[in-house]
Amino acid sequence: MRREPVSPIHGARPGGAADQRPLRDIAEQALAVMRAQGFDAAQVSASRATQDEVNISHNEASLLRSTETCRVGLLGLVDGRKASTELSDFDADAIRERIAGLYADAQSAPQDDANAVSSGQHARIVQGPQDSDLALLADKAAELLAFRSRETPRMMVDEGAALHARTDSHTLTTGGSDLACSLGWYALQAFGTARDGTQSSSFNHAGGTTDDLRGHDAAAFFGLGEMLRDTERQIHTQPVGANFVGDVVLMPNAAADLVEWLLEQIGDMQLIAGSSLYRDQVGQAIASPLLSLRSRFDAPGVAALSSDGFVTPPIEILRDGRLVTLIPSLYGSRKTKLPHVPTASAGWDLAAGTSPLAEVLGGVARGALIGRLSMGNPAANGDFSGVIKNSFRIDDGTLGPALSETMISGNIGRMLRDVVALSQERIDTGALRLPWLRIANLHFS
Amino acid sequence: MNSAAQTTPRDTYTETRRHELRKSRLTMVDGNLATNSRTAEGGVSARVYDSGYWGFASAPGADNAASVERAGRKARENARTMARFGTRKAYDLPGGSYRGEHAYQGRPALSQKDGIDRLAALHAWCAQRYPGLKSTQFMLQDEYHTKRLSSSHGSEVLSSIQRAVCYMTLTAEDDAGAPVELLDRLSVKGSLADLDLSIDAMGPLLDRLHEQLQHKRTAVAARGGLHTVVMGPDLAGILAHEAMGHPCEADLVLGGAMTRDLVGQSVASELVTMVDFANTYGGEELMVPVYADDEGTPARDAVLIERGRLNAFMSSRETAARLGIEATGSARAYNPNDEPLVRMRNTAILPGASKLDEMIAGVDDGYLLLKTSNGQADSTTEFMFGITLGYEIRDGRIGRAIRDTTVSGSAIKVLQSVDAVSDDMQWTCAGYCGKKQPMVVSMGGPAIRSRAHLGGV
Repeated sequence: MRREPVSPIHGARPGGAADQRPLRDIAEQALAVMRAQGFDAAQVSASRATQDEVNISHNEASLLRSTETCRVGLLGLVDGRKASTELSDFDADAIRERIAGLYADAQSAPQDDANAVSSGQHARIVQGPQDSDLALLADKAAELLAFRSRETPRMMVDEGAALHARTDSHTLTTGGSDLACSLGWYALQAFGTARDGTQSSSFNHAGGTTDDLRGHDAAAFFGLGEMLRDTERQIHTQPVGANFVGDVVLMPNAAADLVEWLLEQIGDMQLIAGSSLYRDQVGQAIASPLLSLRSRFDAPGVAALSSDGFVTPPIEILRDGRLVTLIPSLYGSRKTKLPHVPTASAGWDLAAGTSPLAEVLGGVARGALIGRLSMGNPAANGDFSGVIKNSFRIDDGTLGPALSETMISGNIGRMLRDVVALSQERIDTGALRLPWLRIANLHFS
Repeated sequence: MNSAAQTTPRDTYTETRRHELRKSRLTMVDGNLATNSRTAEGGVSARVYDSGYWGFASAPGADNAASVERAGRKARENARTMARFGTRKAYDLPGGSYRGEHAYQGRPALSQKDGIDRLAALHAWCAQRYPGLKSTQFMLQDEYHTKRLSSSHGSEVLSSIQRAVCYMTLTAEDDAGAPVELLDRLSVKGSLADLDLSIDAMGPLLDRLHEQLQHKRTAVAARGGLHTVVMGPDLAGILAHEAMGHPCEADLVLGGAMTRDLVGQSVASELVTMVDFANTYGGEELMVPVYADDEGTPARDAVLIERGRLNAFMSSRETAARLGIEATGSARAYNPNDEPLVRMRNTAILPGASKLDEMIAGVDDGYLLLKTSNGQADSTTEFMFGITLGYEIRDGRIGRAIRDTTVSGSAIKVLQSVDAVSDDMQWTCAGYCGKKQPMVVSMGGPAIRSRAHLGGV
């Protein structure tokens, strides 16, 4: 990630964009209006976003989509009372009118000492590809379609996309925070099924974000090629046919569910409501000693800034299975009296293991390799049950037929403790970089 | 209406949508106002179909003539740029045109202050009445879409979708100190002002939710495997949506969903008729009334399953052309910068003749499933949805509550096993359907009895 002065505006869009005033000017003017309105403290974010997207539909390139949006986010505090709003208009009169309404909204809120805005935060971030390359997007879509046609002809890509996105933002607060960011990235994604006669596989998908779309063939990004190949092998399926307790190997896409659940457990809502299972577990072993989870807030498509106006330094969540920190926002921290730990919107890295994937799979006496967990939200205590999709049976370490109508049940917290092996291989989707995980003691039915 | 909707010689179809989306959200956690937010988004989009390819562009400013012109020009340019992928078959897009204005007139909007006051009153009431609770969370949310659509097929449409939801989550602890929670939701067409949030109206709902939560504190695990289940109306609605609704969307049919080869065949018990209603059921306008979709196609009901036989699909203009079927007016876009996709509107299983009590009494060993969290569909018609409230049924009587679980199965097998459908009907419009974009949909149904797979030990 480079940190340097941000160019105030995007490159001109074809046809010319409507309002290209510097974002800092828009944010500064809005902040001045908020001060004049009577807010004690305020945060203003002005942003522009553009996206170009070559869409694939049913194995054919079908649509070129170009979007531009603008946004002003306003948050104000008056007498400890808070309200926020957003509008998609840079017009000064529209912003002034909204600020007046926001003041009334804030006055009607209850007082809460935990309300505050950031102070003293400074960043200038320029990260990722700043300009869209339509020819490159078209080439990558064509490469993906060519791979499908050549390597996995029974696969139907229902939806796919090669896209470039860029978001410029400038955030100011009355506490002197001044955060500017120009974030660009490319993404590739595919979603679809494989079909043979009247038989069809389950849906499957893969995708992610990258700063460099030229580095590989399209199918080599984010496990896209493996996903297409796996899905072709999932057309003909069998139920597991028995109730038993066994092991699972979660592919990275499924392992993401565990990481996301843990992050929710140590975040604001669970901490404030007092329902977090880990509120008093910092420093304790809550997961297998094989698990080390750390931030990667400079990942492609991620800016190292929090939504409440803080720079987000690198953090560790798990070190060898021990919980290093909770992640309350500024509000959550002041509400719960826990240390404030700012986090970005995404960017997490689960350390790789020491075993090749083949060994991880080879250690399973009876169980399944799972591509996706289709399940309801886990219960408050972590209990869950779900249908395993895009999955294969494993017996005596050998991969068997694809599975259908098979469920597993267990507890997510217990699963974190029951991780018994991690692969050396990982898939990096930008938002997450994860290995395959072998986990013991799941109930199959 | 505007320049983007005017055809040029190379255009076969163009549409322009000016779209405003307003939302408000209040979240109160244990009396703390965690969210107090209102948003407004406006934009214009244009889409062009040229020589078999689509071009789409959007820009901020729903009422800005320059934005309309710019989006139209960019959309045409994008469609032509796609020619680099070679020749693609161009279809004559069916569906006709529609001219009309449809805007829901509910009560005058609730101020944020009124909303906050009502949440505070509900929280205070819960704190006083249920002192053993560990946490109480309420969320009020409404959203209002206004779309003005103009198409080269001659459509000129003003439409609106407006819905409000109150989510209520109560959390207690079981004997071991582990959290146990239960969520319920109340939804209406209109704004938060159209929700009756008075204690008189909400008190009985909260009393029942609290009672059910107490049952969950001592819940037992469901037995994993195939069981006879009585699914309440909430579940029948999501069953309709997930199990056979998605596999009957024409874009998924084109993508290889198993339903493609099943038209005219038995896919359900003769007791099952399933319809995606455009705007009206039983003489009443539904919660997501679509009179013309976001392609300007006049919306029509799609009878997906008629007395057990697969009958029809939901479609956009292009998917209808590709499949050689009628366009149902099901193409909808969520955000101002989204293109229309085939989406459900108001999907329901129609009521039958049975009574819920009799359906339960007829089960020797099974489960009564009442509340759901979320669900997913699949091209194979294998669906799942989360169960957050259910009970054992033994010898025709309701027994112990069960812990959160998941119900799943092949939609066709589950629907073919339906042996009773109740004579009542409930509609809900909470949450979002996710398919590239979110979407507001409603779903409805009676209670049904069938065989399905439960997750458990």
